[in-house]
Amino acid sequence: MSHTVLVCDDAIFMRTMISDILGQAGFEIVGEAETGSQAVEKYKQLKPDLVTMDIVMPDMGGIDAVREIVKHDPDAKILMCSAMGQQALVVEAIQAGAKDFVVKPFQPSRVLEAVQRVLG
Amino acid sequence: MDLSQYAELFLAESREHLSACNQLLLEWERAPASPVPVGGLFRAVHTVKGMAATMGYARVTDVAHRTENLLDLLRRGSQPATDDLLQLLFRARDSLEQAVELSVVGREDEIDAAEILADLDGAAAALAGPGGRPAPAPGPAPAVEAPAVAGRLVQVTLRSEAPLKGGRALLVLKKAQALGPVRNVTPSETAFESDDFDGRFSFRIETTAPAADVERVVRAAGDVEHLTVGGEERRAPSPGAAPGAAQAPDAKSRHIRVDLRRLDGLMDLIGELVTARGRLNELAAQRRDPAVDDVAIQISRLSTELQAEIIQARMTPVWQVFDRFPRLVRDLARELGKQVAFRVEGKEIELDRAILDELGDPLLHLLRNAVDHGIEAPAERRSRGKKPEGEIVLAAVRERASVVISVSDDGRGIARAKILERAKRDGVVDPHAEALSDDQLLRVLARPGFSTAESVTSVSGRGVGIDVAMTRIRALGGSIDIRSQEGKGTTFVLRLPVTLAIVRALIAGVGAERYALPLTYVSETVEFGVQATTTVEGREAIVLRDRVVPLVHLRRLLGVTGDAPSRCPIIVLEMGDRRSGIVVDGMLGQQEIVVKGFDAPQGTLPVFSGATIMGDGIPALILDAGGLL
Repeated sequence: MSHTVLVCDDAIFMRTMISDILGQAGFEIVGEAETGSQAVEKYKQLKPDLVTMDIVMPDMGGIDAVREIVKHDPDAKILMCSAMGQQALVVEAIQAGAKDFVVKPFQPSRVLEAVQRVLG
Repeated sequence: MDLSQYAELFLAESREHLSACNQLLLEWERAPASPVPVGGLFRAVHTVKGMAATMGYARVTDVAHRTENLLDLLRRGSQPATDDLLQLLFRARDSLEQAVELSVVGREDEIDAAEILADLDGAAAALAGPGGRPAPAPGPAPAVEAPAVAGRLVQVTLRSEAPLKGGRALLVLKKAQALGPVRNVTPSETAFESDDFDGRFSFRIETTAPAADVERVVRAAGDVEHLTVGGEERRAPSPGAAPGAAQAPDAKSRHIRVDLRRLDGLMDLIGELVTARGRLNELAAQRRDPAVDDVAIQISRLSTELQAEIIQARMTPVWQVFDRFPRLVRDLARELGKQVAFRVEGKEIELDRAILDELGDPLLHLLRNAVDHGIEAPAERRSRGKKPEGEIVLAAVRERASVVISVSDDGRGIARAKILERAKRDGVVDPHAEALSDDQLLRVLARPGFSTAESVTSVSGRGVGIDVAMTRIRALGGSIDIRSQEGKGTTFVLRLPVTLAIVRALIAGVGAERYALPLTYVSETVEFGVQATTTVEGREAIVLRDRVVPLVHLRRLLGVTGDAPSRCPIIVLEMGDRRSGIVVDGMLGQQEIVVKGFDAPQGTLPVFSGATIMGDGIPALILDAGGLL
């Protein structure tokens, strides 16, 4: 059975690209979220095997969403999607419980590598 | 991976974010101490940056990055926005927009961002100041271990090309912790948050696990170039062993995006289906076979539903066009030294995409006129006892099968006396006329090249505007009305059909031809020959419930020879305050017609807005209500 993924990013562009990369690699995209709070809500509802999480989102940011999700499920597998120059935020996200991160611009091979590590 | 497939999405979404930036900047300008706009601005610019970097648009990324830097400083410092900063941010947004548009069409080298980049950096430096954020201390080289601590010493060097090495280092530590307590992290974990961290670090791990296990766990964190565990050194395998994207066809997605052209194509097909349905209904009526009738009815119902679904899919909220106006009005007002409060109402009202796309320019003309000619300068307003800040309202309202969009200002109104003079000179009105009605006023204003502006400003007053706007709106099957009161202000009212593609129309016969009249503007029908006619201002008219309705004999207008029947129907058209009675030979019923574009041959009367194919396959012309009024 393929792994299920929840894709969280406020940009449709990014969600589409991540969904395409993971979809083509055989993952099943079961949901998308545009805000941190949506991400938390959908995580509880969909219980995906993997979450990709943007850091900067309106409403509730990605890091707070990681905290909320991990509080609910300490084994949650969350992959942060960050941009160059977000070192401090990535560190914070990992401390909050994110399992790995990828950096924009995304290279499909790096995204898949990171996903493999997270699902390891 | 092929990025071109994402370019349109990138463009659409970047435009949305840049439009949001405009709204946020305007909001910030109104409330400089509010902490809300800067957060939204930061997120919007950040998102554009991420998308642009992914697309490989280096210049967009650069402008976005520096803008984001400045916004970040403002956000952290929670400083109120000064006018200079806001102007700079407006400029940065505009540069970003230009860079986005040029990049998408492959003209990235034409982007000239040197000036805005320098200004952004200058402003950021000034904000950070000498006492600004201290530069992070350079991460010290991995220290030699302190021998007092037990456990294996692990020394790690991350790949030089690995991004955000601090984050990766932290992941290494987290993984290692699964084997045992980790101590003596050098440099300390706080150095991981710095961009200067070079990817070399060491730590001690207290574990009974063999060195090979430690190595496996640490490598599993990714991006590890070089690693020694407990003094034993191993080289990393050559990089590039990344697993390729496995092909799996069963990816599922619940959302799809549809190219607008597909939707247009679908609409054309539905149009043909509706035409075929008309023929089927006619044939079924001739056959009088209940089985055929049943199928015809079923097909009618299905195609009606299909048509409604597709029209719904084409509907777009007006804010997609309206949202660019607040910024425009603000810029114009500043340029002209006016104070304007601009309000938008009914943003969520929906229109067919094809109509909405055509509305931008006409509305822009009207708004420019309102700022330039409508709203007075603050001093003049004060002297007239008005508040110095003028008001312009752009509003959309749904009215039955049409959408009404109005542009109102509370400015000086139109000086009718001056226009009347001009109108008499040009022979637009009777030389003895003493006043202009709103309708006449509009007719004068809409004459090509007409301008009452005393000086031609860069904004408007070049004598284009109303006529251009009017032509566009009429081409869409809509109308423009004007209401103006001297000293109080002017309102332009645009009426538009909700959709262009398929409309319900009245089919009228004149001579051997059939003509379609969209029902949107038909108010009623009465009978000619029964109704008494009179003459008002030299025109034949009827009086309908105390209102004079001038008549247009279509037979005469179209030059059809032969005699009209002695009793024939009058179709009363109504558009705003204007009415007109169209005398035709006969009424042939109502039906849905598919509007086809129409390039009128030279010399054609300006009373046709398009053509349609009737159920029997014979074309009919569509009468333009606006042209007949």
